Amino acid sequence: MINGIVKRDGRVVMYDISKIKMAVLKAMEACGTPDFEKADDVARNVENHFIAMGGNITPTVEEIQDRVEVRLMQSGLDAVAKKYILYRAARNNIRERNTSLMKIFDEITFSDAISSDVKRENANIDGDTPMGTMLKYGSEGAKDYYLKFLLSPDQAQAHREGYIHIHDFDFYALTTTCTQIDIKKLFKDGFSTGHGFLREPNDIQSYSALACIAIQSNQNDQHGGQSIVNFDYGLADGVAKTYRKLYLKNIVKCCEILDCPIDYEQLKAVSGRIREECGRGPALKADEEYLRRELKALTEMTGDEAVAKKAQKYALKKTEGETDAATYQAMEALIHNLNTMHSRAGAQTPFSSINYGMDTSPEGRMVMKNVLLATDAGLGHGETPIFPIQIFRVKDGINYNPGEPNYDLFQLAIKVSAKRLFPNFSFQDAPFNLEYYDPNDVRTEIGYMGCRTRVVANHYDPSNRITYSRGNLSFTSINLPRLAIEAKGDEERFYNSLKKYMELCSKQLLDRFAIQKKKKVRNFPFLMGQGVWLGSDNLGADDEVGEVLKHGTLSIGFIGLAETLTALYGHHHGEGEEYQKKGLEIIGFMRKFVDDMSEKTGLNFTLLATPAEGLSGRFIKMDKKRFGIIPGVTDRDYYTNSFHIPVYYEISAFDKIRLEAPYHAFTNAGHITYVELDGDVSQNLEAFESVVRAMKERGIGYGAINHPVDRDPVCGYNGIIGDVCPRCGRRDGEGVPLEKLQKLGLYKHLNASTLGQCGNPEEEKDRIVNPLY
Amino acid sequence: MNYNPQTGLVGEGVKFERIRRITGYLVGTVDRFNNAKRAEEADRIKHTVSRQNSCTKQ
Ligand SMILES: [Zn+2]
Repeated sequence: MINGIVKRDGRVVMYDISKIKMAVLKAMEACGTPDFEKADDVARNVENHFIAMGGNITPTVEEIQDRVEVRLMQSGLDAVAKKYILYRAARNNIRERNTSLMKIFDEITFSDAISSDVKRENANIDGDTPMGTMLKYGSEGAKDYYLKFLLSPDQAQAHREGYIHIHDFDFYALTTTCTQIDIKKLFKDGFSTGHGFLREPNDIQSYSALACIAIQSNQNDQHGGQSIVNFDYGLADGVAKTYRKLYLKNIVKCCEILDCPIDYEQLKAVSGRIREECGRGPALKADEEYLRRELKALTEMTGDEAVAKKAQKYALKKTEGETDAATYQAMEALIHNLNTMHSRAGAQTPFSSINYGMDTSPEGRMVMKNVLLATDAGLGHGETPIFPIQIFRVKDGINYNPGEPNYDLFQLAIKVSAKRLFPNFSFQDAPFNLEYYDPNDVRTEIGYMGCRTRVVANHYDPSNRITYSRGNLSFTSINLPRLAIEAKGDEERFYNSLKKYMELCSKQLLDRFAIQKKKKVRNFPFLMGQGVWLGSDNLGADDEVGEVLKHGTLSIGFIGLAETLTALYGHHHGEGEEYQKKGLEIIGFMRKFVDDMSEKTGLNFTLLATPAEGLSGRFIKMDKKRFGIIPGVTDRDYYTNSFHIPVYYEISAFDKIRLEAPYHAFTNAGHITYVELDGDVSQNLEAFESVVRAMKERGIGYGAINHPVDRDPVCGYNGIIGDVCPRCGRRDGEGVPLEKLQKLGLYKHLNASTLGQCGNPEEEKDRIVNPLY
Repeated sequence: MNYNPQTGLVGEGVKFERIRRITGYLVGTVDRFNNAKRAEEADRIKHTVSRQNSCTKQ
């Protein structure tokens, strides 16, 4: 007898003959010939077939269906059989798709982030929290929908099979990638976050707080990272306001001490009037004209010129230091905020970047000095801040050479980066950056998003070749090594398929753009509603954003140039000048393709050196399955990042820089070069600086230096830790005797509230501020 | 956290933090990277900075 039926997922359910009958009947109905008796006959025949096998049997659904097909054919019901087969295939298809999504959901629900790649796809989301998990369900469900409904079949196939990768695919139909936020413009006259209006800030503390809110708000409107393009110029206004406020307060204070009290509000009004009359006020760089007029007014207010003079002198002496301290605190708070604040359903810290380096005003310089010093000091317990990614703009004539106005800040940036990994360095003088630079328009200064994205040229609107208020719309990367492997050493075949996939990507980017451009301003309450995006301040809430979005870029990326060259020619570009030449030909071809696309469409198509976030393992896993292990191509667990020389290849820093620099010129959507240095580079700043300078001289657009940064949370040691902590002598995971720590001056005040995971709170308080400057 | 009054030890089970940069971002512990990124990090070899190669400072 038939005990039960084994379903596809392995569960056993009760056998029910009427289910077979219904399925056959449905197929008959689809042919327009429903016949209950014949359906009954087929079902009985199938049942008898299995019973005839003898014993207690449990057939699978598949076996039953196979048998139904046979019987239908035997009975001469060919048309019904056809329908039945089609119906079965369609059901299978849906079921299979459902199962793969459900399987992913299952993995999300029941496995630890430690063991699940799906959960760790984005290192910045904690996949183990409820919000992180919820986000994952949404993201995987959305991807499934886009694949089935929004992509054309060839795009879906290319994405699914790993020829291309559509980045931020879970946001496919929702929004765009990133923006270089102009905070100076945003803060002017205040702005609204959608949760209330924020007035124009009036001191450096509120500038810093609002800068964080701006990043957070915009992150909710876009799927990529967020960057402040003018951190120096933007926050300088806050420093200027704090200075003015503190200066006047100091005057009042001094007058009070000298027994000639004056009213703060009155002084503020007087000072404001002078500023209106001559355009000058109290400032870090003292202004003679203002001081002269102020002295006159003060003398009248106090009735005593000597007092007025003393008050001015006192305020001039005191205010700079106080402003500096306030700025330091504001920068400390900013870094703290950006490392702890959450957006996107509370599960992700915003990916934030800040660009600075070229503002030579005393206020801008004070901002930069203090953000660097706060980074150097680290978070509350000396931890290295993860955010924001900081990008220091290097420029001849401004900060690169001794004697230039911001040379000291460049030196400080080197010191801090040698300890904290940030700032990275962007190079304004790289020819492809310099080309757009106009010394009279700060908006033409180059900006990078932390991970590498770059926007400056503007094919759509040549009058706006600027970095400010623009960004990437979306990008899609090509699996170059796959195309190379498939070409089997045939160069022409490789280029043909590269062209084919670039065409496919362009079409897909345009399809995505067609969805993006139909959105309305009110879909992006901050990005568009507050005029953050270029041109959006002229739009109303119900206007479509299509036209202004054209300032953004549509980018095609690539990974694994090294493996591509090895597959095609036997060696990568680090192994010989002839392979470097071949590499440049490939990337040059790709650049020409996107330039032609811009020409054809009037949009900004650009070429990206893909950072490979979430992608480094996906392509190679598939290619290993397809082609097996090919030495130098598929024999690792990742493809090499964009045009990089492979990380496992021995090469000097300078050769690496020399070989990678020309690719920066081609990859106008963004690029970065990394150099790995060994040992404690904070003890060898000269070597560190020589690498940064080599980058600049060779025409690198954006670069960073990696070096080990370790920390022992128990004793608070920061530096390089091998197997044993150099300060407290413990190994990873070991305990240290309390007395030993106390001998080191740690845990002196040990009690329930001070015994923390992070060293001695008392010691943290003793930290000297401004240790480097 | 883990002062153990019985043994008088502090910090048992506390791991060293190792900050690394992968694909542009810093992460405090390598555990949260996916497998491919961890593999890439493990393969990295250091680049030498030899003086005669330097194209900048004389
Ligand atoms: Zn230690």
